[in-house]
Amino acid sequence: MNQTPPSVFEPATKTVSPFSLRRVMVIASSSVTQLVRMKTFYFLLAFAAIIVVLMSLNPPTTPAGVLSTIKRISFGTMDVFAWLFAIVSTALLIPKDIEDRTLYTILSKPVRRIEYLIGKLLGVLWVIAISLLVMYAVCALALWSRETLYIAEELEAMNADARYSAENVGAQIALIEQQGLRPELGIAVLGSFLKAAVVASVTIFLSTFASSSLFSIIISVLVFIIGHAHTMATSFWLYQTDNSLFVQLLLKVVKIFIPNFQLYSFSHGIIQGEAVAYSLVWQMTGLTGVYLVVFLFLSLLVFIDKEF
Amino acid sequence: MVSFFRKIPRTIIVLIVLVAFGLVRTPFENRLGEQLIEAKLVVPPPGMTVLDQMGQSALMATLGGLRPLVAGFLSLQGYENFSEKNWDELRQTYLIITALEPLEESHWVNAIWHLGINATANMELDTKLPGFERKRRFHNYAQQAIEFAEKGLEQVPDSVPIRKQLAEVYREKLKDWENAARVYKEMIEFDDAPQYAERFHGYFLAKVPGKEQEAYNYLKGLYDEGEHQHLPTLIFEIRRLEEELKIPYPGRIPDDGPDANFSRPQKPSPPVLPGGIVIP
Repeated sequence: MNQTPPSVFEPATKTVSPFSLRRVMVIASSSVTQLVRMKTFYFLLAFAAIIVVLMSLNPPTTPAGVLSTIKRISFGTMDVFAWLFAIVSTALLIPKDIEDRTLYTILSKPVRRIEYLIGKLLGVLWVIAISLLVMYAVCALALWSRETLYIAEELEAMNADARYSAENVGAQIALIEQQGLRPELGIAVLGSFLKAAVVASVTIFLSTFASSSLFSIIISVLVFIIGHAHTMATSFWLYQTDNSLFVQLLLKVVKIFIPNFQLYSFSHGIIQGEAVAYSLVWQMTGLTGVYLVVFLFLSLLVFIDKEF
Repeated sequence: MVSFFRKIPRTIIVLIVLVAFGLVRTPFENRLGEQLIEAKLVVPPPGMTVLDQMGQSALMATLGGLRPLVAGFLSLQGYENFSEKNWDELRQTYLIITALEPLEESHWVNAIWHLGINATANMELDTKLPGFERKRRFHNYAQQAIEFAEKGLEQVPDSVPIRKQLAEVYREKLKDWENAARVYKEMIEFDDAPQYAERFHGYFLAKVPGKEQEAYNYLKGLYDEGEHQHLPTLIFEIRRLEEELKIPYPGRIPDDGPDANFSRPQKPSPPVLPGGIVIP
């Protein structure tokens, strides 16, 4: 049966849906490929090197103290890598698409601009999530191996000494376990991810009107630092200037425009062994969702009429 | 309507959305921040006096949200100061560490241990310094350890480990029995206090001139609790006080079990290191 191909001069009859998750996913997966080709995962080697160095350290303190130090440094490094990666990769993606002219090809297809932005952001978030999971696995393995070793050593030493009761032994082991690998540490990783997600959404907004990647990176880092200094800067400046009205006003403006990243430091408390308040974690997750929606909307406002 | 919106510059719409979002989220974030601090998940900002003492790098870390990371690295620097016996540097390091993570009680405990036990022990042994200077520094370091403990207890009021370390400084280094007894008494109030805290309170109270009767009543009360409290040191201290306070014989404790010869129980002999060095 012969079928005549549609003529190029015929008007297009097929309507394009206003939003397609499939198109978003295609853009997201291509962004992941793009980031992988940029050898972004190489920073995991640096993280692994830091863990190896940490594992070789033997500071003169208790086993619980050593575990606490390993945990704080490795989770702190993980957090830094996550937000730094979020800023740099997000700032590079759109300019790279313009430079490679991929953007023209994508936008000439029936792809909405919001789909493009969501896809790009999702791609970055996927890569951050994978990186955090890999780093967490490395860190968990290191912590678990040290914890097991310390518990075995303590049990051997304390059981051999008649002065220690079963209660003493139990208390010492509990101290080590408190600083060792606990399921709650996964929530701390979630905290780092949420922070990185907000940073990425702010950066994608900045990169929609930025003239270069460098500009986006610098401004995003500045926003991040100011966002962390909200609380401290408020009390510090007010203390220095005797509660000046001008400073109060200025601080209010800063608070309104810049996200409060200090809140995302809740993972620090979990790493230190505090109990997880799940209701607060859910609220933080919800807040992150709102940040993503608002900054994506702002990005769209700038990006929708942008001529390339 | 759409054409009206199209006429408004996009920058203004962006600014309006940002301001509206900021105004809506700020009260929510303030409340959430307070709850997170209350749940000890977020560290409150360091005090103004501490900010003056912080180095530039630590201040930047606070601004940049790298507090646990910097505190972790500084802890390693603290151990380096300890191995080099650089006590003044160590104090500075711990001032920053405790400012960065004031709710982490192990930092306070380490600072008290390093200054109150290690630095003072070093002053007892360091023959390179003249005697008066060693004595002066000994008291300085002990005092600095006590200051760390007081600040630490302001931050973590229910901390037993901080009190344990503080009591050790009073007991082992300053021979300040009254304060040692006071700290052990404070410790008893907490669920995670070690069992010996209640006995130690009595033992050190018994050494304070003028508090013998109070100590006797307290220790006798413990003794009367039952067999589980009939420990050699407790019996020794009660007997010593009975002699000192001239308690009539019918009122004295009958126990003559392990402490029949009325001598202080001996500690196990300390290990001898290569070269004949004995750890006291």
